[in-house]
Amino acid sequence: MDIILATIINGILMGSVYGLTALGLTLIFGVMKVINFAHGSFLMAAMFLTYYLFRLTGIDPYLGLVITLPLLFAFGYFTQQVLIRPVFKIERDVREPISVLMLTAGLWIFMDAFALALFGAFYKTIRTSYKGAVIHLGDVTISLSRLYAFLTTVILAILFYLFLKKTRLGQAIRATGQDRDAARLMGINIDRIYNVAFGIGIAIVGVAGAVLLPFYYVHPVVGVVFDIRAFIVVVLGGLGSIPGALLGGVIIGVVESFGAQFMTATWTEGIIYAMFISVLFLKPEGLFGFKAEW
Amino acid sequence: MKKERGQAKTMIIDRTPWIALIGIVILLVLPVFIQSPTFFQFMILILWYAYLTTSWNLVGGFAGVLPLGHAAFAGIGAYASSVLFIHYGLTPWVGMFAGAFLAAIVGIIVGAPTFKLRGAYFALATIAICEFLRVILENTQKFLGFDINGARGILLPLKGHSPINYQFLDKRYYYYIILVMLAIIFYITYRIAQSKLGYYLTAGGEEKEGAEALGINVAKCKLIAMAISTFFTGLGGTFYMQLVHYIYPRGIVSLDLSFEIAFIAIIGGRGTLLGPIVGAVLLVPAAELTRTYLGGSYEGVHLMLYGAVLMAVMLFKPRGIMEPLEALYRWVHGKFFLQPLTQTDRGE
Amino acid sequence: MNLLELKGLSKSFGGLMAVGGLDLTISGGEIVGMIGPNGAGKTTVFNLITGLHFPDSGDVHFNGERTTRLKPYDLCLRGLGRTFQIVKPFGTKSVIRNAMVGAFCRVKTTQEAEEVALEVLEFTGLLPKKNLLAKSLTIADRKRLELARALATRPKLLLLDEVMAGLTPRETDDMISLVRKIRDQGVTLFIIEHVMQAVMNLSERVILLHHGEKIVEGTPQEMASDRRVIKAYLGEEYVIARG
Repeated sequence: MDIILATIINGILMGSVYGLTALGLTLIFGVMKVINFAHGSFLMAAMFLTYYLFRLTGIDPYLGLVITLPLLFAFGYFTQQVLIRPVFKIERDVREPISVLMLTAGLWIFMDAFALALFGAFYKTIRTSYKGAVIHLGDVTISLSRLYAFLTTVILAILFYLFLKKTRLGQAIRATGQDRDAARLMGINIDRIYNVAFGIGIAIVGVAGAVLLPFYYVHPVVGVVFDIRAFIVVVLGGLGSIPGALLGGVIIGVVESFGAQFMTATWTEGIIYAMFISVLFLKPEGLFGFKAEW
Repeated sequence: MKKERGQAKTMIIDRTPWIALIGIVILLVLPVFIQSPTFFQFMILILWYAYLTTSWNLVGGFAGVLPLGHAAFAGIGAYASSVLFIHYGLTPWVGMFAGAFLAAIVGIIVGAPTFKLRGAYFALATIAICEFLRVILENTQKFLGFDINGARGILLPLKGHSPINYQFLDKRYYYYIILVMLAIIFYITYRIAQSKLGYYLTAGGEEKEGAEALGINVAKCKLIAMAISTFFTGLGGTFYMQLVHYIYPRGIVSLDLSFEIAFIAIIGGRGTLLGPIVGAVLLVPAAELTRTYLGGSYEGVHLMLYGAVLMAVMLFKPRGIMEPLEALYRWVHGKFFLQPLTQTDRGE
Repeated sequence: MNLLELKGLSKSFGGLMAVGGLDLTISGGEIVGMIGPNGAGKTTVFNLITGLHFPDSGDVHFNGERTTRLKPYDLCLRGLGRTFQIVKPFGTKSVIRNAMVGAFCRVKTTQEAEEVALEVLEFTGLLPKKNLLAKSLTIADRKRLELARALATRPKLLLLDEVMAGLTPRETDDMISLVRKIRDQGVTLFIIEHVMQAVMNLSERVILLHHGEKIVEGTPQEMASDRRVIKAYLGEEYVIARG
C-alpha cells in the first residue's frame, strides 16, 4: 500500500516537471500553431546555464532564476524574432506551417550537437544544500528537491493562468491564438505577441530546468528525454490546452513511476510510447476533451 | 524582366531525366577508372543516403508532411530480412521484400490516423514510432520466436562471396546494387511526379480543403505515398545490413538517422526530383569530414552541420539548394544557347 | 427531376444555430440564388451540402442519392462542384496546373488532364495566363481560376460562394456573363451573392436566408418588392419608416 502511495506521489512530483515543460510547448502551439521541436534543447540550455551559474558563483538554482529567467526569455524572444519569424512569414496563409516545424527541428539538432561539442558527453550534477534531504509523510519518503519542483510548478501554473486571464498582455496573447487576423484588426501587434509568447514559453522551460537540476543530471542530449515526454504530454492533454498539459504531465509521471517500480526502465518508455500512439488513434483531440482555450 | 517573377519555373522537371541519365552513365563507368576501396565505401554511403532521401521525398516532399522517423522503416527492413535469413536461410533478395512490406504496413498504420489531423501530429507520431520501435528492439531478446538479442543487435552469418545470399567481398557489387536501387526509386518518383498521384499529392499538401473540393481524397493520397516511401526505405535497410553485416537498435533505428534523412532532403530541395540527391552529394561528404575532424569521441557532433545548414536554407532558400542551382542552370542556358528556355506548360 | 434536395437541414456551432431546418429543392438547369445578411448561415449551407461539415439533423439528396454524410471528395466525384468565398488556389503552382488538378477528377492521364485544363482556361478567359503562378493573380483572376478548377471536375451542380465579391463593376459584368455561359453548358448553379445586381440578373429563383432559416423564396421580381427582404437587410426601423 505504502509503496503504491509513494509511487503515486513520486510520479506526481516528477510528472509536474513534465507538465511544466509541456506548458511552454502548449503555449507556443496555442498561439502560433507551431510545434517547437527544439523545446527540449532549450531545457538543456537552461540546465547548463543553471549548472554553470551554480558551479561558478554558488548561486542556488532557485535563486538563480532571477538571472536565468530574463536570459531565457530573451533567448526565446530573439529566436522567434530572428529565426522563426522570417520563415513563418512566408507561410503566413498556409494552414499548417510546416517550414517552421523543419526550422525548429533543425534548431533542436543544432543545439544538441553544439552542446555536445562545447560541453562534452559527460553527465553533470550539482550538490545543493538540500540534495538528498527528505521529509516523511507517514510512511512515505519524499525528496525535498522534488517537492520544491512540484510546488514551483503549481505556483507557476497559477501565476501563468492569472497572467493569461487578467493582464492585458495575456488577453492579447489569447486573442492572437484564437484568431490571428481578428487580433491584428484589433490593433494587436502580432509579431510582438509571437515574440513574447515564445519568450514566455522558453522562460517556463527555464524554470523547469532550474527545478530539475537539483535532482537530475544535465547532458547535451538530456533535452531529448523531456522533448519527447513533452510532445506526448501535449497530445495526451490536447494540443494547446494548458490544464491538459499539466494533467498529461502528471499522468506520464505516474505511469513512469509505476513502471520504474515494477519493470525495467526501458519498458516503461515503451508503455509511454504505446499510450501516445493509442491516443493518436483513439482520441487525437486529447484525453480530457479540453478545448484549447485560445 | 521584372514581369517574369510570377512565371512558373518549369523546364527543370522536363530535363531532369537527361541530367539523371548522364549522372547514371558516369556513375556506371566510374569503377573502370577508380578502384580504391575507400572511395567505393564513400560512394556507397553517398548513394545510400541519396536513395533513402529520395524515398523520403515522396512523402516528405510531395505530400507536404514532415516524417521524422524514417530510420524506423529502414530498421524494420534490415531486421526482417536478416531474421528470415538467420532462421530459415531465406535469401535476403527475397527477405528484403518481406521487410519492405512490413515497413509499408507500419507506415500505413502511422499515417492512417494522423494524416487526417494537423501536420504536427504526423511529425510527432513518426518520432514516436521510431523511438517506440527502438525501445522494443532493445528490450526484446526473442520476437515471435526469432532471436534479435535486444540491445546487442544481430550479426549476419557470413558466407564469403555469395551472390545468392546478397553477400559480396568486393564492394563494387554493393556500389552497383545501390546505384540501381537509386535509379529505380528515382524513376518511380519521376513517374509519380508527372502522374495524377503527383498532382494530387502536391495539391493536397498545399491546400487541403481546396483539394478535397476538387475530388481529392487527400489523406488517401498521402497514405499511398507513405506506403511507397516506407516500402523503399525498408529495402534500403536490408541493403545496409548486407553491407555492414551487423546492426543494433541504436545503430539504425535512431532519431539521428531519421533526422539526417529528412534534413538532407529538405536542404537539397524537398518536392524536387534532384534535390535529395544533390543534398546527399553535398552533405554526406561534408558530414563525414565534420565527423572526422570535429567529432573526436562524441557521436553526433557532425549533426551540428545539418542543423545549421538546414536553418540557413529555411531562412534564405526555402526551396532548398535546388533553387539557386536551377537559377544557375537557366542563366547558363540563356547565356550560351542564346535562345532562353521557353516556359513549358506544367508548373511545379 | 430534383438535382438537389435539402430536407430539414440543421447545424449548430457551440449552441449557436447556424442553419435551422432548411428545406430546398433545386432542379436541373436552374440558377438559384441565395441572399441574406452577413452571418445568415449561407456558407454553412454550402459546407453542409458539400460535406465539409456534417449536419446535426436533416438530409441532403443529390442526384437522386442520399449524400448526407459523404466527404467533399466523394461528392465532387458524384458531380458536385464548389468555389470558396475565400479562394483556395494552389498558390505556388501555375494556373494550368491548378486547372489540371481539377481535371484529374474525370480523367487518368496527364495528357487528357492538360486538354481539359486548356479547355476550361479558354472558357474562363485565363488561357493567356496559364503559366503564371496562382498566387501572382489578381483577385478577379483568382476567382476565375477557382471557377475554372471547379469546372474542370465536370460538375452537374456548381455552388458558387460570392464569386463577385471584391470585383470592380466591369469585372462583375464579365463574371455575370461567364456564369451565364456556364449555365448554358448545362450546369446547374446555386449561388451565394451579396452583389444584388448580380443575383437579380442571374437567378431564376432566389431564397433569402436569415438567422439560418429560409424567410422568403421567389423570383427576383417578387423578392425586390418583398418587405421581409428589405427588413432582413436594413432592419425593422427602415421598413416602418418607409411603410
